[in-house]
Amino acid sequence: MSVTVHLSGYLKPFSGGETEIALPGEYATVGDVLDSLWQQHLRLRDRILAETGEIRQHVNIFVGSDDVKRLKGLQTSIKSNEIHIFNAVSGG
Amino acid sequence: MAEKGTLLLVGTAKGLFILQRAAGTEKWSIVGPHFAGRAVYSAFYDERKGRGDLWAAATSWHFGAELLKSTDMGATWDEPERMRIKMPANTKKSLENIWQIAPGADADTLYVGAQPASLFESYDGGETFKLNKGLWVHPHRKKWTPGFGGLAVHTVITDKKDPNDIKIAISTGGVYQTADGGENWQVTNTGVKAYFLPDQYPEFGQCVHKIARHPKKKNTYFLQNHHGVYRSRDGATTWQEIESGLPSNFGFGITVSDAGSVFIVPLDSDGKRFTCEGKLRVYRSRDEGKSWEPLAKGLPQKNAYEVILRDSVASVGNNIFFGTKNGKLFGSGDDGDSWKLIEGSLPEICCVKAYKI
Repeated sequence: MSVTVHLSGYLKPFSGGETEIALPGEYATVGDVLDSLWQQHLRLRDRILAETGEIRQHVNIFVGSDDVKRLKGLQTSIKSNEIHIFNAVSGG
Repeated sequence: MAEKGTLLLVGTAKGLFILQRAAGTEKWSIVGPHFAGRAVYSAFYDERKGRGDLWAAATSWHFGAELLKSTDMGATWDEPERMRIKMPANTKKSLENIWQIAPGADADTLYVGAQPASLFESYDGGETFKLNKGLWVHPHRKKWTPGFGGLAVHTVITDKKDPNDIKIAISTGGVYQTADGGENWQVTNTGVKAYFLPDQYPEFGQCVHKIARHPKKKNTYFLQNHHGVYRSRDGATTWQEIESGLPSNFGFGITVSDAGSVFIVPLDSDGKRFTCEGKLRVYRSRDEGKSWEPLAKGLPQKNAYEVILRDSVASVGNNIFFGTKNGKLFGSGDDGDSWKLIEGSLPEICCVKAYKI
């Protein structure tokens, strides 16, 4: 299903100011969605994923209301067309 | 030749501040914070080849650490699509912080000291960087352990005339150096104590907080250790204790002025980590560590519980500067005889870099 990615405002510098990005097409996993997101906004990639390819420790991605770190990470299935990417409530 | 002004790059836990003072004046201008909310542990002004480039490492605890560049003195910063400094995939590590940006002997060479403990090198003026393999494959690396601030290459000292001579410090690992441009690295901690280990004088594993080179004596270095102050006269190879007369041998930052004066700010032990007796005193040695004198003129001497981090003591010429975790920035224009508060309420100061421009 096609999806809409909602970004935390803190990611606006890396998305050309956009916080809602519609991604037409069919996606099986979160990783597939992100690959499509990078096509539009490559700057987001290194800020959301670490060099290891994993989601950064203090970034959270939700499919619907499900935190994908509690599921299968980037392999989590797309069961909602709403994806949210937030910075975690951590810091000092 | 006309007298030059002074440029200070002050990295804080919440961004970078750029301060400038015109020649012959006492007034500072300040612009910032650049990268508001991001921590800046390292910065560098590159005037080689007439460039005038500013480099800064901005670390978002959410979105990672990255190296940024400005060619217009901070009016704008580039924000590369892909981060300049990245751990190669085969390391299975991700970059945590950038602690040092240092020029190489060649005008197009830059070195970056990073966390996890690693050194990156650029030979094209910072366009591209690659991991120094010699250090990464060093057999000691897997036995280095993180200090309180993480496991990092936090100090990089290069020789302007010899591109093959690089010295680094790692917490905790100690001093390492190469004589072949980074192919091979030798550990040179002889004489440096590691009081927190059963073997207190190990080959490596010391928590060296900072090393600084004498500006005019190529082979003379000074070292602020995790408890211990040392001098080397053989190119940072062997070290002799020089802490007689200090109120404490614990501290972080160290710098050497053009006059050859060594400056440190002792802190009261690793258990407390604040200035001794609630007095903010810089200690100066004008005889390469044989004796030390406290410098307090212009510095608070009552209820002054300050912490000065490893890269927050700097000098250019005989101007000395230091910043505190409480956000106070002090400067001296007379080789430490007297001090003035430049800024009093910045965020926690992580680094201070001083230049004449």
